[in-house]
Amino acid sequence: MLQHELLILFLILAGIATIVFVYVFLSSWRLKEEGGGMKKPLKKRFWFSLILVVVLGIFATATLPRSPYFQYAHESPAKVIHVDAMQFMFYMSEHAIDPKLPVSENIELPANQMVEFRVTSLDVNHGFGIYDSAMHLITQVQAMPGYVNRLRYTFKKPGTYHVLCLEYCGMGHPVMETSFVVK
Amino acid sequence: MESQGMKKITSVWIITILMLFVVSIVLGILMRLNQGGVIQEQTLTFYSNLTTHGLTMIGIWFVAGMMAVNYLMQRYVRTSFAVNLTALIFTVIGVLLLWLSTFAGKFNAAWTFLYPLPFKDFGASSWATTLFLISLAVFGIGWFIWCISLMANILKKYSLAEAFAWQHLRKEHKTDTPPFILITTVTLIGIITCLIAAVIIIVLFFAEMLSQGRFVNDALLMKNLTYFFGHTIANEMLYLGLAVIYELFAEVSGRPKWKTTWYVSLAWNCSLVFILTAFFHHLYMDFVQPEGLQIVGQLASYLASLPAAGVTVFSVFIAVYRTKIKWSLTNVLFFMGIAGWVIGGLGAVIDATITNNVVLHNTLWVPAHFHTYNAMGNVLFSLAFFYWFSTQSLENIRLSTAAKGLLVTLLIGGIGFLLAFYIGGSDSVPRRYSNYPASLKEAKPLALMGASFAIVYLIAILSFFYNISRRCLKILFASA
Repeated sequence: MLQHELLILFLILAGIATIVFVYVFLSSWRLKEEGGGMKKPLKKRFWFSLILVVVLGIFATATLPRSPYFQYAHESPAKVIHVDAMQFMFYMSEHAIDPKLPVSENIELPANQMVEFRVTSLDVNHGFGIYDSAMHLITQVQAMPGYVNRLRYTFKKPGTYHVLCLEYCGMGHPVMETSFVVK
Repeated sequence: MESQGMKKITSVWIITILMLFVVSIVLGILMRLNQGGVIQEQTLTFYSNLTTHGLTMIGIWFVAGMMAVNYLMQRYVRTSFAVNLTALIFTVIGVLLLWLSTFAGKFNAAWTFLYPLPFKDFGASSWATTLFLISLAVFGIGWFIWCISLMANILKKYSLAEAFAWQHLRKEHKTDTPPFILITTVTLIGIITCLIAAVIIIVLFFAEMLSQGRFVNDALLMKNLTYFFGHTIANEMLYLGLAVIYELFAEVSGRPKWKTTWYVSLAWNCSLVFILTAFFHHLYMDFVQPEGLQIVGQLASYLASLPAAGVTVFSVFIAVYRTKIKWSLTNVLFFMGIAGWVIGGLGAVIDATITNNVVLHNTLWVPAHFHTYNAMGNVLFSLAFFYWFSTQSLENIRLSTAAKGLLVTLLIGGIGFLLAFYIGGSDSVPRRYSNYPASLKEAKPLALMGASFAIVYLIAILSFFYNISRRCLKILFASA
């Protein structure tokens, strides 16, 4: 899972930062007499900043094109699902949902084909977070009143997927969930 | 120099902040215990506590930075005691009104009070939303007057260009701008800007409330304004702490005072731009937001780390590396706080990458990283100032064994409590759930782990509270 890899990346980076801070601190703490400080600090600062610029530049270049707004931008979805969120439930349908009389349908989606969720809200802001059968968050989008967010995704594995609300929407927020099936 | 009146009011600020901090930590621990299933709070109580916890924390650490900056600014320019007192009175009234709206009125829309949630039936008393908005207005008025007054004080001595240290970008210049003045200027401008956004939000809320349906706000605009305000003030309060570090770190370490150079000037001027545009990363999952703004959000979030790491953090390294320093609790707390700020920043940059945000947004990763640079960064900056302030008149303040024990306790508590959040985030546990569904198996044990370590953190904070408040009370009741 991406999130587990990110945790490992974070722990490695945090560990390196901690080692550097401890090393710098001990270099002063253990001194009995004046140690002369850092040699050529301006040069070191320049290289440190340059390395940081390069690393961040690589990350930005590698990740920005893969942002969800650009994925599948020129493809047609195999299926369109309308999602209307409302305190504290999700209405999902293959047909446009009447906001005055919303009804939900059982949803079955095809595996390995791109589908589009058209997500909006009938009252407050909600989050449409899709979890796989092992309860790992795989993608999400916000449900905002007055706007329709289009989330495109290709489910690789068949199974039951769960939807949890990921934006605080009131007291029923933690019980706001639904599910659908991918075959 | 610092007047007796300013010392006394600073003492009152410190005691007030530490008292509110302890209450807010207790609320946080109760929330984690509830999530862990150890206690059973009513859902309404949980969310009103969440609202109180978030806003009180933001408020107290903002004023902690402001009052520290105000105190130290007297070294350069005269500041107004009356305005400082006004800010204190407005802050205390604001907190009382806020707590009335949350504890009694059960207002529970979280610190974000994201439009239009406060208008929908969400369990609060009918008057709670109005009182909540009034409490924000009271904070806003007091803080706005304070910021404008401090800015005006700076501009009486320095021109705007000098306050921004633009002359340091040229090879030759006649006047020097102290780093403290530069950072305070940049930060105050950012704060004034985000307070204006807060005023607009409150006005728009009241406009809809009073129009009886004739005027309806735009949810996307309100979200942008909310995060512009919230993100900016949360970051600017860290910068207030950094202004204090630039002023005091060298001084308490027995080293020459830091000076503004061309790269310090450039870095802090750039910081202002980045900090005012990075808030877009809060709206990555709103796909209707123009794509250009989403990209600006990621780039600004990345770029904000450059001046922070390349200038501020590196300057601290240069000041410390193989340099004989008089280590005391003050500069150790500053140094540890910088480390906490950096590590929290790493978590923030990971989350500010759009492709990562898809699986981290509104999970426990979010409270993980902002608690890192607050609880283990900004709080330590302020504790360092509190400690320095309360021990100014004492000679030979060394790092005692008891102080070392206190720091270890703080570290153990802080790291454990934060790890529970990070692991929860990587396990896809959503934030702001009063109770976790059984399907999220790791959530409850992690909440318990978080609560346990937060209690250890609280023990360390109580010790700071006792020692610092005792000395501040002496300053408060000392005869002139």
